[in-house]
Amino acid sequence: MTVEDHSSVDDQTLVRASQRGDMAAFEELVARHRDRIYARAYSMMRNEEEAVDLSQEAWVKGWQRLAQFHGESSFGTWMTRIIINLCLDQLRKHKRQRAESIEAMDEESGGVERQMPVVTVNPTAGLERGELRQRIDQALGQLSYEHRTSLVLHEFEEMEYREIAKTMGCSIGTVMSRLFYARRKLAALLADLKNRDSV
Amino acid sequence: MDYKAQLKLQALLDGELPDGEASAATKWVARDREAASLLEELRSTRGALAGFEADVRLPESREFFWSKVEREIQRLETPAPKPARVSYFTLVRRFLVPASAVAVVLIAGLMLIPPAGSTGRTVAAEIETALADSGVFTYRDYSAGATLVWLSYPAEDEAAEIDEMGTFD
Repeated sequence: MTVEDHSSVDDQTLVRASQRGDMAAFEELVARHRDRIYARAYSMMRNEEEAVDLSQEAWVKGWQRLAQFHGESSFGTWMTRIIINLCLDQLRKHKRQRAESIEAMDEESGGVERQMPVVTVNPTAGLERGELRQRIDQALGQLSYEHRTSLVLHEFEEMEYREIAKTMGCSIGTVMSRLFYARRKLAALLADLKNRDSV
Repeated sequence: MDYKAQLKLQALLDGELPDGEASAATKWVARDREAASLLEELRSTRGALAGFEADVRLPESREFFWSKVEREIQRLETPAPKPARVSYFTLVRRFLVPASAVAVVLIAGLMLIPPAGSTGRTVAAEIETALADSGVFTYRDYSAGATLVWLSYPAEDEAAEIDEMGTFD
């Protein structure tokens, strides 16, 4: 198969060629899915450099584990699980290296999200796409990794509670609490950003 | 509204409630304004996140990123060099060189000890070890007018053999 051929074939064929050692086929897979893999890493890590490094590591691992891929899911989904696990490992390392975040302490000390006033006006209404993205980016950065990851896995990876619990190694109840807190906190942060901008 | 009810609302939004519970929760939201506004907040937050990742792009060109991935794959696939095998003959020689040096020193020492019943005359002899090179021993017997130099360097052919084989661990 020539390099030109690769761009016109489906993922399955490229995966089979890669499993036989065809690196050009694997390069095409990387080119197709690299943005998705990076986006997931960036959403979880909130750091461009780290997200690039982890994406690279994920692709190397993907190549090494190709023999284990039997097509139970799409190749993109399989690769996404690799990057999620790498990011979780990295985030756990970070957590061990620093004190608990204020958000985590909030959650453990009684759940401030229960008392937060409901945001009645949509804080993102009327925003342009770029501006909205920037605000969400800023707000996501203020969540602890547990809350942010729960949100990312649910909203972007479309995982069910059960899958998130399995991936993060916690109970379904914890996932529900984290997700609820993350959403309420995000709504409050977005409203706060809107209020600050309007002052 | 208690916390359990709040989580139930969220589960309703996420489609995680069983059918029976979902229809009961929907009826409850229809008649409870507080529940309705919380559900609306959760829904709009969810809406705001939709499509957020779509604009995120890897900040490196295809060629550059792939070159890094490829280099790392190749680095990991290159087998680590095996440690050089040392021949039996070389091992024996490596043992024999220092052993012989020690033997020479011992012999020289024994020669310096005056035999029992001797006149106690001082034997004019000395052993030198060069500080800069511990592999060289010099024995001088002034009374006999003899000098013995012991070099414990590997022989030329052995040195060549070592060079070819690489470093010993």
